[in-house]
Amino acid sequence: MKPHTVAKGLVLAFLGLAFIGAQPATARIKLATLPERERVEIQLDNGQYTLVEEERIVPLLKSTPEGGNNMIDFSWSNTSIDKDSIQFRPIAIKEGDNFREIKKVKAGENGPEVDEVNVINVSYPPNENALVWEVYANEACSAKIRVSYLISNLTRTFSYRALADKDETKLILRNYIELHNYSGEGFGVAGVFAGFKDKFMKTVGQEEDIKILYHRFDEVPIEKTFTFDWYANGPLNADKPFASRILMHYRLINDEKNNMGVFPLQPGKVRIFIEDGHGGEAFLGEDMTSLVPLDKDMKLYLGEARDIVCTRTIDSSERHNVRGNLCDQEIVIKYEIENFRNKPSTLRIVEQLNRLAQEYFGNTHGDVEWEQGAKTSPEFKITYEQGGAYPILHVDLPPRPENKDEKVEKKVFYFHVTIKNLWQ
Amino acid sequence: MTTKLYFTAALLVLFSVGAIAENVDLVTLPARDGVQLTIYNSEDLTLVKEIRYITLKNGNNRLQFSWANTLIDPTSVEFRPLEHADEIEVADTTFPGQKPQHLIWNIVSKYEGQVKVEVTYFTSGITWHMDYVSEVNTDETSMKFRGYVRVFNNSGEEYENAEVRLIVGTINLVEKIADLARRYGIPMPAEGEAQYKDLKAQAAREAYSKAEKLAEAPAHAGVPAAEKAIVKEGISEYFMFTVGGTETIQNGWSKRMLAVKADDVNFDIVYRMRAHQYGPQPVRFFIWKNDSEHKLGESPLPDGLVRIFRDNGQDGLSFLGQQVINYVPVKADIEVNLGQDDLVFYETWKMDEKRLNFHFNWSGNKEYVDGWDEEQKWVDTIHNYRAKPIVFELQRVWTGDVEYHSDTETTLFDFHTIQAKLTVEPRSKAEYAATIVTHNGDNAKQNRIKLK
Repeated sequence: MKPHTVAKGLVLAFLGLAFIGAQPATARIKLATLPERERVEIQLDNGQYTLVEEERIVPLLKSTPEGGNNMIDFSWSNTSIDKDSIQFRPIAIKEGDNFREIKKVKAGENGPEVDEVNVINVSYPPNENALVWEVYANEACSAKIRVSYLISNLTRTFSYRALADKDETKLILRNYIELHNYSGEGFGVAGVFAGFKDKFMKTVGQEEDIKILYHRFDEVPIEKTFTFDWYANGPLNADKPFASRILMHYRLINDEKNNMGVFPLQPGKVRIFIEDGHGGEAFLGEDMTSLVPLDKDMKLYLGEARDIVCTRTIDSSERHNVRGNLCDQEIVIKYEIENFRNKPSTLRIVEQLNRLAQEYFGNTHGDVEWEQGAKTSPEFKITYEQGGAYPILHVDLPPRPENKDEKVEKKVFYFHVTIKNLWQ
Repeated sequence: MTTKLYFTAALLVLFSVGAIAENVDLVTLPARDGVQLTIYNSEDLTLVKEIRYITLKNGNNRLQFSWANTLIDPTSVEFRPLEHADEIEVADTTFPGQKPQHLIWNIVSKYEGQVKVEVTYFTSGITWHMDYVSEVNTDETSMKFRGYVRVFNNSGEEYENAEVRLIVGTINLVEKIADLARRYGIPMPAEGEAQYKDLKAQAAREAYSKAEKLAEAPAHAGVPAAEKAIVKEGISEYFMFTVGGTETIQNGWSKRMLAVKADDVNFDIVYRMRAHQYGPQPVRFFIWKNDSEHKLGESPLPDGLVRIFRDNGQDGLSFLGQQVINYVPVKADIEVNLGQDDLVFYETWKMDEKRLNFHFNWSGNKEYVDGWDEEQKWVDTIHNYRAKPIVFELQRVWTGDVEYHSDTETTLFDFHTIQAKLTVEPRSKAEYAATIVTHNGDNAKQNRIKLK
């Protein structure tokens, strides 16, 4: 920034020596010499607050009884700086061509031991975006100072681009950080730190949106999942009232074993593409991901699978009295599944047993107690992701027959469950 | 001239007050020789003590004091000779009706010559608050801790080269006003009444009088400050911070000064999972004490915003978070909540549910369930992806008549909240399993947790 551009942006002015407390309330001198920024860093690791740190070389005069201390004016306009957050830290003193650490010295013959450059106080004028630091200097010197402040409207978001191979067995995941600088200030070439990796240099101008590749994950194994959840998705349509949507996802695991696990993945939009086998790419869709901690999985929604059809009917529902009005509700759920895909597939069937009991019994008086019955198909592998009342039934399905005259077999499976100790 | 306070000594030959009914003639205009501000924040009240030299004649003297466009409480203005006190007496004080924001003291003096006097009054519009900055090292084991006082002057008056004293603590002036009212045998006046103001000024003056014995902070006239020392001293139930030397705080300006400085302050990091208090994920706390072991403890720490930065190891800082802390007495804990941490993740699932011990009641010729127990098995998992072990404190509220068992040591925080403490090793996870039996319906006899 040039010295004459006072109207907008940040201005750091060195006022030389001034008598302590002698600044006039109005028409304050704004500018004497303007040290250029030597270095700027933008710290984006905190999702709520953006910290800017800038370094400047400030010439300081020796503090004397006659001249007082150095007064350094910092002002800004049209820039959304949090005034109360501004810090001024002398960090080094120029000695020849190099900088050295600030030492402790005696202030006067019998004075206390103090830093040879030391901030005494900060004054804030009324109705101005400005402040004045009073700085003691034991000797005339050039000091490297660091000014840091929190700034609004300089934000970051994250986005992702996933490119799956044609076989849908692995993908390349690119993680982008997007800088949005509407803070009113341009920073030139700045170091940008987003938290988990090394900082990088980038030119950050005013009102700029900058998309930067933050990390690329190669050869990430994916599992393509097909999920049937009756209570989440309801009937497919009026013609198929017992079928329901089957949702497709890519499932990635954010761990080292799966070529990820570098840092928690921040929330953001994911655009998903697939190689088309001809050197091009096809767009599969986009999804919003929430925070993916390390070791946890990321599920990318791809849309509905039309080539797997599952209908769900209640094969039997019987009530067995235990005592008085206490009874058990025994239910057998029947699934008829056809896989029209040319690949073997695994279908995940989610059952929500609290909802099941409410539908076929009524008031459950809280979460249900249940046990699995003998009629449950042995092909089901059962896991739990959200607790005991949400079993997930995994079943492997063969691909459609290669012989064009052979029909797709409708596979039939049962889930036999007794909801215990219910009463009305 | 920047100041709006005028102090005029009119040396009178005439004895009749009525003879000088209009403007008082200006004879001398003594400048302030010294000024001291004692700022008591919680009541927006500042005691201003001015030292001036005036020249008195033998006999009656009229002194005029005026305060245009300031927030001075006129009922609080007092005059006191600091020399020849036995020979100088304020005979009366007049607030001229036609000249608002003026008063005239009739002073009877047996002494003739220059006298050092003190004028005190209360003003509002001068306030102060603290804020704190903490810079922790890359490993998050120790910090540099700084506390700053910031004084705001919106009183309408400019105070040059003032000695600044800040009262830390809450003086219950209302109670003291009630005491004074009882002492004078008058009913407690309503807030806003003139009598209330009078009593408030007197109560504050009595509170401040305890601070008067504090030694004068050394001033460094003519020497530029290399470092501002802030002297902290306990007085009765209060603490007083005295800013070393003098400060000029112009009207409308504020000034921020270093008041607390401590390096190499060790601190603990604790993760707290309290869904009822902080939401569904654990929050990270930095905890240390205001004591000598932590290079602090010289005084209580007044209320203020704490901002925490971390050396990010790449020649820069990261901003970790900020929180307003309330008054921290000496030896008390300082706790700053930095919010959720993406590298520590918590989940809780109910893995099993059983119903048992049914109780039935007859209604007509049928039995109905009117009491039952539920046995639930819960598993909480804490994932620590950080490179060092973490301390994890779990609190969880259970309502109703609950019997609680865990193989992990668990205690009650209160009648319906359990608490447990776990250490989770780096880049690993820990599980906390519990069996909870709740008695429901007619089986519920209590509303509390019983540990088993």
